Parts: sequence; structure tokens; C-alpha cells
Amino acid sequence: MTSNSEARTGARIWGVGAGAPALRVTTADIGAAWGRSGRSQIAACAPDEDTLTLAWDAASAALDAAGVEAEAVDAILWGTSRPPFAEGPSLAFLAAALGLAADVEGALLCGSTHSGMEALNAAADMIAAGSAAVALVVVSDALRPGLGTGFETRCGAGAAAVVLGAHGGAATLGRRVTNTRPFVDRYRGDGESDNRDLYDPRLFREEIFLPSVEGVGRELAQSSVRAWSLPDPDGRLGAVVAKTLGATTLASGAVYAAVGDTGAAAALLGALGALDTPGVVALVGTGGGRTTGVLVDVDAPVPGASRAGAVLAAGRRASYAQLLRARGQLVPGGETIPMGVPPESALFVRGADEMLGLLGGRCVDCGTISTPPTIHPTCINCGGPKLEPVSLARGGAVHTYVINHTMPAPFVAPLPIAVLDMDDGARLMLQVIGDGKDVEIGGRVELVLRKYAHERGVPVYGFKARLVVGRQEVTS
Amino acid sequence: MVWNRVAVVGAGLIKMGELFEQSYEQMAAAAFEAAVASVDKGFEPHQVDAAFVATQRGTLWGQEGIGGNTIPTAIGLVGIPCTRIENACPSGSDAFRVGAMAVASGVHDVVLVIGVEKMRDKSTEEGLLSRAASGHPIFTRGETAPVLFAPFATRHMHEFGTTREMLASVAVKNHYNGARDPYAHFQNEITVDDVLNSAPVCHPLHLLDCCPQTDGAAAVLLVPAERAAEFTDRPVFVAGFGAATDHPYLHEKDSFVEIKATRLAAQRAYAMAGVGPGQIDCAEVHDCFTITEILDVEDLGFFDKGDGGRASLEGDTALTGRIPVNTSGGLLAKGHPIGATGVAQITECWWQLRGQANDRQIDTHNGFALQHNAGGRGSGVSVVNILTNRK
Repeated sequence: MTSNSEARTGARIWGVGAGAPALRVTTADIGAAWGRSGRSQIAACAPDEDTLTLAWDAASAALDAAGVEAEAVDAILWGTSRPPFAEGPSLAFLAAALGLAADVEGALLCGSTHSGMEALNAAADMIAAGSAAVALVVVSDALRPGLGTGFETRCGAGAAAVVLGAHGGAATLGRRVTNTRPFVDRYRGDGESDNRDLYDPRLFREEIFLPSVEGVGRELAQSSVRAWSLPDPDGRLGAVVAKTLGATTLASGAVYAAVGDTGAAAALLGALGALDTPGVVALVGTGGGRTTGVLVDVDAPVPGASRAGAVLAAGRRASYAQLLRARGQLVPGGETIPMGVPPESALFVRGADEMLGLLGGRCVDCGTISTPPTIHPTCINCGGPKLEPVSLARGGAVHTYVINHTMPAPFVAPLPIAVLDMDDGARLMLQVIGDGKDVEIGGRVELVLRKYAHERGVPVYGFKARLVVGRQEVTS
Repeated sequence: MVWNRVAVVGAGLIKMGELFEQSYEQMAAAAFEAAVASVDKGFEPHQVDAAFVATQRGTLWGQEGIGGNTIPTAIGLVGIPCTRIENACPSGSDAFRVGAMAVASGVHDVVLVIGVEKMRDKSTEEGLLSRAASGHPIFTRGETAPVLFAPFATRHMHEFGTTREMLASVAVKNHYNGARDPYAHFQNEITVDDVLNSAPVCHPLHLLDCCPQTDGAAAVLLVPAERAAEFTDRPVFVAGFGAATDHPYLHEKDSFVEIKATRLAAQRAYAMAGVGPGQIDCAEVHDCFTITEILDVEDLGFFDKGDGGRASLEGDTALTGRIPVNTSGGLLAKGHPIGATGVAQITECWWQLRGQANDRQIDTHNGFALQHNAGGRGSGVSVVNILTNRK
């Protein structure tokens, strides 16, 4: 019943990165609402995070680990079951925020949690075909289960990214096995926001999940696999498959324990830590009636792999109610007040590159940086008319700050906002991630992409400051 | 500078507050009536040659497009030239400055300057949100009004050791004065502890560090100095004025311990009036937040930079202090109906210089009173007017 297609693309892995959202919720807290128990936890996006910001986090880390400049990327392949636009510029926004070239190739793969494997395979094929010398694979997801559904306490969020090239690197993408069957597993219909519950969990387990995943796994197990990343949508099935396959090292177990089921990101994210050790790693992803497995032959620790664990371990505790509010499943009644400027309007078209790319204009005469360029035809210091475009520094220090406690929706209080002295001398005023308790004058910050608002159905992205020291961290 | 001297011969305002029951036009008509009634020797409304209207946020009552243009009809003077002045929080101050220039130039003889603002026709949330995103999509969203001033408090405290008690002392003093002003929105006294224990609004500012949202209107009547005697034997004259700008967005600013536009506007006003800060008897200054008054009294030259908090705490700006500031209760207690604010401040100065401030009356032995507003997102604009009772 397993149809095999075998390919050795030989694409090489240069570096990897992980991304995890800010919130951690115990399954006991979720279960309590529905009369169930739980002993694990999941990760969930804060209101200013989504699959795009998670993808940016992971991709930025992978590029950094690989030592690859954003402009050098030829293709970006992004797999997620939940792109921020059901139809729209999801990939274009991500590419711009990463600083990729305007002529970058790529594709957004979605439609099921299998899309992460599709992105990885498509990128490998582009490398093999020679249509890309450097490919960036990003897989991210933030599952949104129906309330009270069977997998709710397992549905999490996270991201992984891989930089692939034809030569060099520390590991090789190897044998690929795939299987496609027209079965309904986890799904939501057109226009539906939340995943539906399984019709029959036993039917899913016996006739859909296990035959498909075990079938692919058995093919991969013919090689000498050191560590596995296996799907585990309910907290039990992963162990069942591992036992069947005789897998002794289940690398994905710790990842599921830290952040839950990360959907389209699960297979790659579950394998990331294992890429730090030589040997063969097998990763299997499933969803939408499809299962695909890939072998990765690691010959030296992959740059970035050792950092994945710390990324997943960060995060702050949140309640089920906070989780629901952040996911948009708990909404206040009444009319929402529209913001002054529609995010589809000319202002956002003119400002798009500046907002996602953080651009400034450096005065040729006095060196002062004025930002953003479209509203600064002249220098703010000397009035000089000659400004050269520059990318702003991503690190800086707090000059002064406030913590806003009186914020109507869509803002969420407390909201710290800081005036920043950036390392290149530019000054910015940005929101600061967190509740502001650790913000102080002189404190170091780095800039990260986050979602500022969701207006008229449009997510609005921009950079926020994140404290480099004194960050709130809760180990799982 | 060659200009004809200008006299203020009438001034009046309405009781400030949440005036849900009054329309923009009704508030304007009542303020105009108060100004007309204040003229010692009588004034006929049709004597007005031209009007300058200060309204800052027509969006808050659904009339941004024609804000100001309903005034001549509302006050029964349809046909007169009427121009709306919008210049952020100093709109009222600037309408006065422009009105004075219209008289000083000889173009108009009798000018009405009227400030009217409806702050409460829309919900507080909508008022907040209208400030929370603007200009360019990259600008930090969530910049409600307190966010524009609280960063100065954080930095002033950091650099000069200014304390929350010093900030609170501004609110305590202004509420004390407001309790003696029948036109004030709030007429209750408060304590330092009340301020410290009020709800946090925007750290380090708490609720009582912030002015309220207030509906209101105020009006003044300007004539050439040589015609003042037709209207009053106790005229007040425009001694000087100054306006200045700074970069409007906070990230463009050099300093978070001064409002540069205020310093520049004050220099110009003092130069025009031929006086210095030491000759000012009392001042109505922009205290939208407690920190703002502390910055003002430094930037206007009443105290050294960094000394404003101490001065307030020790009573130097109280009714009995060296330089009484915001004898009317200020924006913190009297209220801040934006376009009306500056005109209402002029009215207080007019009363002080004519000895009509009742329980709030201070000694005006030098004969000069100063009025000031700053605003425009990150205080990108400031206006200072100086009045005198010296002939």
C-alpha cells in the first residue's frame, strides 16, 4: 500500500534555525475546561506572532547559522498550513522582511500539515535541478484547533528553517519516500477557521495514520537510522510508530513535549536538534492524506542545530483564556473601531519596503540617519538634501521608554514603547516585546519581526524591540 | 518690528466639562456671548469684522471637513470672514496670535478669536485610537497621547532625579487652583497620595498625572490699541508672541528633557515684548500631563533646566509662589478642550491682569502674564503669547 519514489538529490545543509512563539500553556489548564486531565504543555503565538513571524525567526536564525547573506538566497520555499493571508502576499511579505532580493524564486506550500515536507522536497529539487544555488526552506505553523476537540491539548506552534546548497555544508538530504491516499484526516473546510474534530479516532489511528506513517517509516528503516522525527498528533501515536520501527532515539519527543504538535513544521523541527550529531536522521511528516519521509545524512554538526533546544525552552506561561484570546477564539463583543489608515492604502504601498526592510537615509553631509525615507526628503539634523539609502542597524539601546496601560483593542496592555539609540546612530521608537518590567534606560535590544495589528482582515507586520538581557524565560 | 499695538477688550468662556448636552455651535455661541458681556462699556456683536476659529479635531464630532465654518451662523454673524486655525494643541494660542496679527497689520479692526472643541462626542476609545496610528505605517502603533509625553518623564527622572512626588505636586497645585475656578472641569482638591495611588495610565504617569477629555469653548475680542478706550478703561495689551516648530515625531528628537519648540517660541515672544522671564507675574502653561508643566517652567526660563520638579514640590509655582503657574487650574483641572484651551488661558491672563481673578488673584506688579501651549504629536509646535496691562 505504500508507493515509493526514491530520489537522492544530494542537496547539502549549510545551516538550520528554529523558532518558537512566546506563550506556553499547560494541557492541564486546557483540559480542565473540558473535564480532562493533562501533563504536558503546548506553545502558542502571542497576539503579535503568527506563522509569518515564526518563519522569520527561524529563517533569520538559519541564515545566520549558515553565514549566508539574505541577498544570496535564490529561492525561498515556505510550508505552513496557515499562511497569514488565505489569499494574498504572505510569501512576499516574508521575503521582504528577510531582506531577500526582489528576484528571489520560491513558493508557498499550504493546504495541509504535509506542506512542510513539500517545501523541503521542492527546495531539494531546485538545488538538484540547478535552478537555485542557495535555497531557504522555512516551515512554520500555529495550529488552531476547534475548541474541545480531541487534538486541542496537542496543537502547538513553532518553526524551523534550513539553508540548502549544492556543495559544502555539514549534511546531505538523502532517500525520500512518500505515500498519498484519499483519506480525510485533520481538516477544516473552505472559510473555516478552526480544525474540525476527528470523526472516529479509532478509524483515524488504525486505517489512516498508522498504515501510512508506519509504511513510510519501514522503508526508511531499511537504512541505519540513528535518530527519528515522527509525527505524534495525540501524544501516543508517535511512540506507537517508534516501537513498530524499533526506533530507539525519538528526537522529536522532546520537541513535542516543549511546544506540542507544530503541524507543517513538526517533522523538520523535531529533527533539528539531532542534526548536531553525525549519523542518519529520518524525518517523517504527514497530513492531508499524505506522508513523506526523508533521510538526512549528517557528517558533521550542522551549524545552528545546537541552538534549537534553547529556542524551544524559552517562553512565558499563559492561561487557557489568554491562549484563546491570542488565537482570536475569544473576542470581545461590540463594534471594533477601525484604525485611521487602511492597510491596503497608498500609505502602506509607499511604506511597505521601509516597514518590512527598516530603511533609512544617511545624510551625505553630516552622516545623520533620517527614517523612514519617504517622509524625510531632507536630513533631520542639518536639512541637507542628499540622503543615501541604508539598512538600519538591528541592535541598539533604550534611550527612554514608557509602559502604556490604557490601550483599546486591537492593542493589548501593558504595552512598553521605547525610544532607541541604534548602533548606527539612528533613533527609532518601537514597541518592546513583553510586559515592560525589565525595560530600563541603557538596556540592550535587538529588533525582531512581529505582527502589529490585524486591521480589516489584513495582518500588519513591522519590527519590535526585544531585550537582549533580562528576557523572561521559563524552562519547560 | 513695526506693528500696531493690539488690545484685548473682552474675554469669556463656558464652564468646561463633559458637555454631552451641548452642541459645538451652542458652546461657541455661549462663549461668544460671555466675551461680549465682558466688555466694560458694551459691545455689539455686529462690530466684529472677522473671526478666527480654533478647532483641532473635527474628526471627534464628525465635522473635520467644515470644522469652524459653522461658527458665523452659530453666533449670528453670517457673512463675516472666518478662518479656522488648526495647529495641534496650540491651535487656540495660534488663533490668538494670528488674530492679533490681523489687527496689528491694520487689515481688520475688531477681531473675534474663538476656540471650540468637542472631545466627548465620540467614545474615549475612539479618541485614543485616532492617535494610536498615524503618519507612516512604520511609526509605533499604540502611541496614545500619554505616550507622547511619558518618555520625557522617564528621561527627566533619569537625568535630574525628578520624582513621582514632584510630578504629583503639579496636579495637586492645579487642582487646588481649579477648586477656585468656577469654569474648571474639576473643582476638587487632591493630595499627592491621590496622584501616586491613581491607576497607572502610561508608566511613569498615572491617571491624575493626566488632563481629562473636556468639551469647551472660549472667546476673546481684539481691537487696535487706539480704539481700546471705546470699550474699556482697563484694557490688556498684546505685548508679544512667538511660535516655533520642532521635529514632530519622537524618534526625530535630540532631547527628552526639553521641548525645544517651547524654548524657541519663548525666546521670540520675550524679544518681541522686551521682557524676560523674571518680569512675568503669572503664566498659563501647557500641562496636559504633570511632566509637561515641569518641562514648560524650565523651557520658558522660569527655572533652570532640571529644577522644575523641585520648584513645583516646594511651592514656587503656587498661587503664593515666586511665579504662580496655571492659576486657572490648568489643563489638569480646568480641562483641555484643545482648540479652546489656549483662548481660555488668555481669558485667565486677562482676568489676572485686570484684577478679576477673585480667589485666584495674584499680585501682578510687573504687569505681564504669559500664555503657552505645546503639542503636535511629539511637541512639534509651540506658541507663546505675552499680555500686559501696561499702557
